[in-house]
Amino acid sequence: MITGKALARRSFLKGLGTTIALPFLDAMTPAFGAVAKAPVRMGFVYVPNGMDVRNWNLDYEGKLGELSRILKPLEPYKEEITVLSNLTHNNGRALLDGAGDHGRCCGSYLTGVQPKKSAVDIHCGISTDQIVANHIGNQTRFPSLEVGLEDARQAGDCDSGYSCAYTNNLAWRDERQPLPPILDPRALFERLFGKGASLSPEARARQSKFRKSILDFVTEDTKKLQGDLGPTDRRKLEEYMSSIREIERQLEKAEHDNAQINPGMPKPYGVPADFAEHFKLMTDMLTVALQSDMTRVFSFLVTREGTSRSYREIGIPDGHHPLTHHRNEPALMEKVSQINTYHVKQFAAWVEKLKSTKDGDGSLLDNSMIVYGAGLCDGNKHNHEDLPTIIAGRGGNFIKPGVRRIYRRETPMTNLHLTMMDRMGVHVDNFGDSTGRVNGLDLA
Amino acid sequence: MHLKYLVSTLGVAIFGLLSAADSPFEKKVQPVLSKTCAPCHNDRTSSGGLNVAPFLDPKSITQQRDGWERIIQKMRTGEMPPRGIPRPAAQIDELTKFVQTEFERADKLVKPDPGRVTARRLNRNEYSNTIRDLLAVDFRADKDFPTDDSGYGFDNIGDVLTVSPVLMEKYIAAAERIAARAIAADPLPKPLEALYHNKDKNIRRIDGSTIEATHRIEFDGEYTVRIGLPGERAADAKPVTMNFWMDGKLLHSMQVETKPSGLVYFNPYSEEQMKLFLPEGDHVFRAGFIDDDFVKKLTGRELYNNKNNKYLESITFIGPFESKAERASRKKILICDSNTGQACVEKIVATLARRAYRRPVSKNDVAPLMKFFAMAKHEGLSTEQGIQLAIQAMLVSPHFLFRIEHDADPAKVHPVTDLELASRLSYFMWSSLPDEELLSQAEARKLRSPGVIEAQVKRMLADDRAAALAENFAGQWLETRNLDSIKPDPQKFPEWGPELRDAMKTETRMFFESMLRENRSLSDFLNAKYTFLNERLAKHYGIDGVTGPDFRRVDLTTDQRGGILAQASVLTVSSYPTRTSPVIRGKYVLQNILGTPPPPPPPDVPALDEEAVGNAGSLRQQLEKHRSNAICASCHSRMDVLGFGLENYDAIGKWRTKDGKFPIDSSGTFPNGKSFTSPAEMRGLLAANMPEFARCLVEKMLTYALGRGLEQYDRRTVDDMNRKLAAADYRFQTLVNEIVVSLPFQNRRGEIAVKPKEVATR
Repeated sequence: MITGKALARRSFLKGLGTTIALPFLDAMTPAFGAVAKAPVRMGFVYVPNGMDVRNWNLDYEGKLGELSRILKPLEPYKEEITVLSNLTHNNGRALLDGAGDHGRCCGSYLTGVQPKKSAVDIHCGISTDQIVANHIGNQTRFPSLEVGLEDARQAGDCDSGYSCAYTNNLAWRDERQPLPPILDPRALFERLFGKGASLSPEARARQSKFRKSILDFVTEDTKKLQGDLGPTDRRKLEEYMSSIREIERQLEKAEHDNAQINPGMPKPYGVPADFAEHFKLMTDMLTVALQSDMTRVFSFLVTREGTSRSYREIGIPDGHHPLTHHRNEPALMEKVSQINTYHVKQFAAWVEKLKSTKDGDGSLLDNSMIVYGAGLCDGNKHNHEDLPTIIAGRGGNFIKPGVRRIYRRETPMTNLHLTMMDRMGVHVDNFGDSTGRVNGLDLA
Repeated sequence: MHLKYLVSTLGVAIFGLLSAADSPFEKKVQPVLSKTCAPCHNDRTSSGGLNVAPFLDPKSITQQRDGWERIIQKMRTGEMPPRGIPRPAAQIDELTKFVQTEFERADKLVKPDPGRVTARRLNRNEYSNTIRDLLAVDFRADKDFPTDDSGYGFDNIGDVLTVSPVLMEKYIAAAERIAARAIAADPLPKPLEALYHNKDKNIRRIDGSTIEATHRIEFDGEYTVRIGLPGERAADAKPVTMNFWMDGKLLHSMQVETKPSGLVYFNPYSEEQMKLFLPEGDHVFRAGFIDDDFVKKLTGRELYNNKNNKYLESITFIGPFESKAERASRKKILICDSNTGQACVEKIVATLARRAYRRPVSKNDVAPLMKFFAMAKHEGLSTEQGIQLAIQAMLVSPHFLFRIEHDADPAKVHPVTDLELASRLSYFMWSSLPDEELLSQAEARKLRSPGVIEAQVKRMLADDRAAALAENFAGQWLETRNLDSIKPDPQKFPEWGPELRDAMKTETRMFFESMLRENRSLSDFLNAKYTFLNERLAKHYGIDGVTGPDFRRVDLTTDQRGGILAQASVLTVSSYPTRTSPVIRGKYVLQNILGTPPPPPPPDVPALDEEAVGNAGSLRQQLEKHRSNAICASCHSRMDVLGFGLENYDAIGKWRTKDGKFPIDSSGTFPNGKSFTSPAEMRGLLAANMPEFARCLVEKMLTYALGRGLEQYDRRTVDDMNRKLAAADYRFQTLVNEIVVSLPFQNRRGEIAVKPKEVATR
């Protein structure tokens, strides 16, 4: 079947019209890669409650040598990562809004704006990933994917008057609408690969036809309804309408492609109790989604700001957030470092996977730029400058990794966002509190 | 916005008259503020963020109402002035009374405002319940849909419930599955066998005679469930009762022989099986011998030795099979013989649409749904599959997914329609749609006839569906929902596990339900003389005489327990995984019992010396040291004392008299000077101040009932309710009744649509 001829992946899948196993897809990539340049993928992995920066920071600039304790798990891939220092989120700071650094730092992380302090009148901003998704998302089945590991179902308040919406979500579709992450591996699996029981092409076509008619019907209904509503209520219905339009687009796309990607893994079953296993399942699926070009943009909220999750997997029974308020008590800081390292270890395993996944004429990692970082610097101090940040991957021959870059103090994190958007082909003048682009990333 | 309104209408009107030199304000308010408060709360040192200078102006009573409310509250509770500053008691008393009277006077002049609830989509619980009551299909939206964001502590607040594309995908997929399950016209796949066995490590041993497995049922249908029972007991052993539960609900009960069968076996083994209808979804199945006293005599090794004991080892599911009995969902939907023609189909669709949309339906509603029926027929599908497609469409319609209220007159305050009121009632009390009786009363516009709404409330509270209030209101008010995500340290609390956790949840749920259904006084929330226990929880509490897994009402003879603040559920959710936290518990009580949440701590606050706890001194000593800082003390004096009063309970609510090597000291003194020496005495003091607790509960429940946060204009409603509650001995149902007849529940403010164009031309 592999002819060596240049075949666009799309037409290849379309020709088959049914389910294809991924290993097979792998075998196709050399032929595929020879022609079309592989797309660039962009993603953000967010860890909460800051970092034990003593053990995160490096004491040198330039080429990466000995890595710090927390970054150690990335040692084998240090030629693939870039460590960035002094990036700041000024809008995570109080700026007269009082307490609530956890709520603010997560809300501002990808949006660059200061979230409004309110339990219900949520007001943030469109996030970097969504700006990109709006521009290039129509080329893929899913404009973006949002995943996470921690069930956010918490009663009570979240942080000092900030709505839980700010800490439950990383991606924002617009200033009022957060995009909730998918937490359950099974739910992610079904979203990406369907319900498991594969339908015949006819049945799938019929399902899609029915779904489209139903969407037309509710669109009509909603239009009629909206006519006599006040502006607040109408806004709610508009959200619903815009989600319907998005689904319509997805349906058309899926119909056009007329293929289901076989994930090459069994359908996961519920949420694993083990953190590493959960992390692996979700990133395995993200890898497939990126590799098969189901999406090029993702955000991954590892756990929530202020989380009290404990890590018995590594012998830490205390809650993560209480531990970060350690007052420089060595025993507590030690535990924070262990948690930080444990997170990086999971990330490193994913980097390994991305590196060994072929994509175009390189690896999937080569064609990706994945930011791994925290929204607070030191979890004890709640400071918003010099946020722990690394980028894995080369963004398709764009980033020259293996170095640590130290920017001027107070360099806005949004400058990095602008730079990454540029690379994704989305050119925006300003974003949040940006003052320009960051330098030192590109090869040129 | 509302402040401005107040100011413009009142500020001038009242205080224009009072600004004479010897006005009551100058006599009663200014001296206390200047002498007692100003030394710490001035332009330069505004302790706790407060500077009293603006409050020296009489206009501040209306212009800075929120600030004044806080000042009055701090003075009344005795929190301010703090210890060490002289307290002119009589003057403070006079001041608070004066300001209070001014508040009331101002409130009376304000035009009543019922507020406005934003159109809201059903949340996950409401969606599940609505599907259950509409179609008799068991669908767990909480396992399938993304988390609903919450505001003001509840997840039914219209303003924060959004519809993301992921949720929309879920709606569409769920509608497909639910409609298919309801009609059950699709053929079932071939039966499969799934085995959960101890040797495969996929069952959990809950105790010596109970096992549990998590299993996903892929299709509604009948299943053969087989329990593997190795071993045998002595020749004279009695039969035992074996129960089988799904998600905590008892499905089947049978007798099992445990004595030797008489057949010769090298490895004695038997199986018991049952045929059950199981619904699609992820479930926790549990099988166990109940009241099995025999195993209590066995030690670890003997427990699973087949010469000594008969025990449970495996669960096998075989299915699905077609069920002979007609599905409940089909009975509910197919109200006539759909093969008789279009008229019947139309009747079926119209009947469902009326209930799904919670209002009478017109041709304009039914015709588009019938198009789906025609479309399915055109595709060669059966009549029933056509109905299925119409249902699928209905379940994605905004009329189903949203609760939308219309403004008959957008410019004015107006009563909601009877139909809108019916949905407000049913989603408040049942988290579900109105039933036939409520809907037809609303259609006939009888809901506002004298006595009708009260009768409906009584009826609805007596209905099983009112359990939703315990599940969704109490579960969030008391934060007991968090029990699912909380993970006490197994090293320190080896007894923690799903069974104890579920028992804790059940106690609080049953207690709340009994409070509601028996119309008890709200004071019982704080110091009831009864609770609900099973053996597991009774053992946890050190209460004798309760055996077996079933819950029952238990009259308390000890004062170690009584009321929610002595329930393990509440005590666990207000603790850290490794230890108790008087601060968290204190905050919990302030927030959920007294309705006066403390402000958040400053960011660089020094935290507790965790490692030193249990070594360098008791937790209490540590905290007291922490409190020697005056800034911390202003809040912690109130917060910690409440937490200390609960220190006799460990982090999973077990009674203790020592923490490590240090004896527990659960005494304390409230800022108002009243002191206590035990949790029971503290609860007594809290219960003695019913207006405070009642106000908190009124505010929480009204928020939940309305689906919006309370605003300044709701104050009068809350005050009225408090007065009526006090007069009715704080009976719980009085609270529910007062909520449903209140101004904001019955009415709504219109909102004028401003078209973007008009704005542009202005």
